[in-house]
Amino acid sequence: MDSTFISNLLLATVRMAVPLIFIATAELYSERAGMVNIGLEGLAAIGSLVGFLMCFITGSAWIGILCGALAGILVNMIYAFATVTLCANHTVYGMAINIFAPALASFINRVYFGAGSQLNQIKLMDTVNIPGLKDIPIIGPLLFNQTPMVYLAFVLVIFTSIFFNRTKAGLNYKSVGEHPKAAATLGIPVIRIKYLSCVICGALAGIGGAYLTTCYSNTFTEGNIAGRGFIGLAAVIFGRWNAVGVMLACLFFGFCDALQIRLQVMSIGIPYQFFQMIPYVATIIVLSILGGKKSGPAAKGQPYRSEER
Amino acid sequence: MEKQLEEILRMEGISKRFGNFYANKNINLSINAGEVHTLLGENGAGKSTLMNILIGLYQPTEGKIFFKGKEVHIESPDHAARLGIGMVHQHFMLVKAMTVFENIILGEKHSKGLFINREARRKEIIELSERYRLDIDLDQPISDLAVGAQQRVEILKALYHGAELLILDEPTAALTDTEVDGLFVIMYKLTQEGKSIIFISHKMREVLHISDRITVLRLGEVVTTVKRGDVNGQKLADLMIGRELKPSHYEKKVVPYDPVVELKSVEYNKTNKHNGLNGVSLAVNKGEILGIAGVDGNGQTQLAQVIAGVIKPDAGTVTLNGKQIQIFDPNSFINDGVAHIPEDRNLQGLVGDMSIADNLVLKETENPKFANGIFLKRSVINQYAKEMIEKYDIRCQGYDQDVRSLSGGNQQKVILAREIESDPDLLIAVHPTRGLDIGAADFVHEQMIKARADNVGILLISADFDEVLEMSDRILVIFEGQIMGEYSGKNPPIDEISLAMTGNKMGGKA
Repeated sequence: MDSTFISNLLLATVRMAVPLIFIATAELYSERAGMVNIGLEGLAAIGSLVGFLMCFITGSAWIGILCGALAGILVNMIYAFATVTLCANHTVYGMAINIFAPALASFINRVYFGAGSQLNQIKLMDTVNIPGLKDIPIIGPLLFNQTPMVYLAFVLVIFTSIFFNRTKAGLNYKSVGEHPKAAATLGIPVIRIKYLSCVICGALAGIGGAYLTTCYSNTFTEGNIAGRGFIGLAAVIFGRWNAVGVMLACLFFGFCDALQIRLQVMSIGIPYQFFQMIPYVATIIVLSILGGKKSGPAAKGQPYRSEER
Repeated sequence: MEKQLEEILRMEGISKRFGNFYANKNINLSINAGEVHTLLGENGAGKSTLMNILIGLYQPTEGKIFFKGKEVHIESPDHAARLGIGMVHQHFMLVKAMTVFENIILGEKHSKGLFINREARRKEIIELSERYRLDIDLDQPISDLAVGAQQRVEILKALYHGAELLILDEPTAALTDTEVDGLFVIMYKLTQEGKSIIFISHKMREVLHISDRITVLRLGEVVTTVKRGDVNGQKLADLMIGRELKPSHYEKKVVPYDPVVELKSVEYNKTNKHNGLNGVSLAVNKGEILGIAGVDGNGQTQLAQVIAGVIKPDAGTVTLNGKQIQIFDPNSFINDGVAHIPEDRNLQGLVGDMSIADNLVLKETENPKFANGIFLKRSVINQYAKEMIEKYDIRCQGYDQDVRSLSGGNQQKVILAREIESDPDLLIAVHPTRGLDIGAADFVHEQMIKARADNVGILLISADFDEVLEMSDRILVIFEGQIMGEYSGKNPPIDEISLAMTGNKMGGKA
């Protein structure tokens, strides 16, 4: 194992982790307002397709990302209306999104491109390097020679951490996920924050999906989210509902992902499927160790009714 | 002390309807600045509804509210807070995962900027807490605080948000006696500073101690408003319940030794003084009420659980209807005729999200009366539920209402109906009237007396000494998992019993 191997492994770790960071942070915003949204997989799928399609049409990866976010928001409004306004079960509607959205993505894909086998590709987002800093060995290319989306992901983590820990708005936001009735008695607009959380969640999950088609691989394939929605969900638990913790969890899962690809390439007579399992096995192990402990916002998953007897 | 009689709040002709049910009907209420005004009423008399209207959680169906002379339409709790009306809810509105400081500043709007200016906010809060002697450590998470301290946080929070009229909803329900005294000192201090307090309670002694005026509610309507000096406890109780209280003692019986259940030297986790049993021997005879007196947390919970078959004793024998028990399993105990009114009706007695009808037949789903093979006989169950609602005076909207949305007294009546109708040989009643108002408590007691007449053996476990004295034919005192002594229920030696409850014997060593 030489230093290029390690350097490449770490580079891949960051690239793999970035979509997870967007998706997991989406869930963090959701759960902090008490909304357990397991529909991330679906939101990312629709974001991924719309991002790809708009980039294909306009030639701009940025427009792709933006439209991916909008698509995520739109689809997540179904979940928001059902769970916030109609007080429906979160899991049921999250699951519905997971079934509905990827199918919708495939449908749009086939309608637009036809069922042919030709591969439609787009130009990936350019990397932007930060002069000077990118020449630092190992961490230079790792941190400072990436697409802007990578920088954005880390800015998002810092912003989120400050928002929840230092700002008044963040404190009020968190109280909605902990004790919505108490929040309401203090004049905090519970319903509005719950909807807001769904907008943020839809946007970030959509961006996470769009990243995969516009910054990572240059095409859309069905099932390209490949469980990242659920891994993102696990990362929130692993990261103890804390922005930095969630980021570290994503980097860990990203590392597992990067490692498995490299092990596949180096394959030494072991069926590659075993390596492919690594991120998922890691998820299961982590969840079974941490799953039972203190578990996040007290009122997560519970409907909120304002005039209840 | 002479207090200025300036009116701060007037509610005129307030009504609130839920479906066809009037929770409040044409209520008039006037609160003066600097007074403690008590709302007195049974559970379900409409106190909480009225306060929820005042705080903006509910909108009144009819009526007007004037605050400081101006008519107001209170749209939300936030609006109420901006007007200067703050409420300390019976179930605290505190975020357990946050600190005292965070809870107090939650939702505050008077400071500018995005970030929390901890220093400045802290100073404001500390000033306020010193002024009203609300002693509290700002950096502790709520989950680490005792109930009394949490209440002080709630009061401080309301004051911080600018409350001039404070509503305290049954603030003493969960407090110890010392904490209650502390609360009264704070209330006195608050009114001295010109704040007004609406005090909601049904504890007569406290009401007479702290109130300036008392408004009595019954069945959603105002009965009367009186000054403290003009009434006594008996009069208030009459007003509140709307009928004369029965003579306070039931007839005490002496029955021959014919045990429905007998414990011999039962031990459970015996080294634990608070949650264990150490060599308990007792017998509950047919047709008697055996009362267990004792301060809460001296093994009462474990005693009830052993006799209900929930836990298995480490040593000793339990004999039920003459048969020594080998397997401790609640289901077989139920089949052997043991009925159980558990100490926590929400955790152990009822399924909150299920209807009254379903809760009533929960134990009887195997009974051919209610089930046909694997299928439930819905119409029979519903008819039965209607009968029970009538018979046990369960006040509700219908048999399909969720029990969660019933008041505590009515929830207890559902349990009572289910347990007594199962035609038991033994009824274990643990704190059967805890949190209930006098009317509901009387009803529960009457049903127990009726069951006794049907030759049911009743084990009454209660931390309410008066209840044990009132109901029991025989009294046992439990202390640190041991039975301290047995006393007759007729003319019980109160001094001796209270002494035993604290672990001492009359004339014995300390």
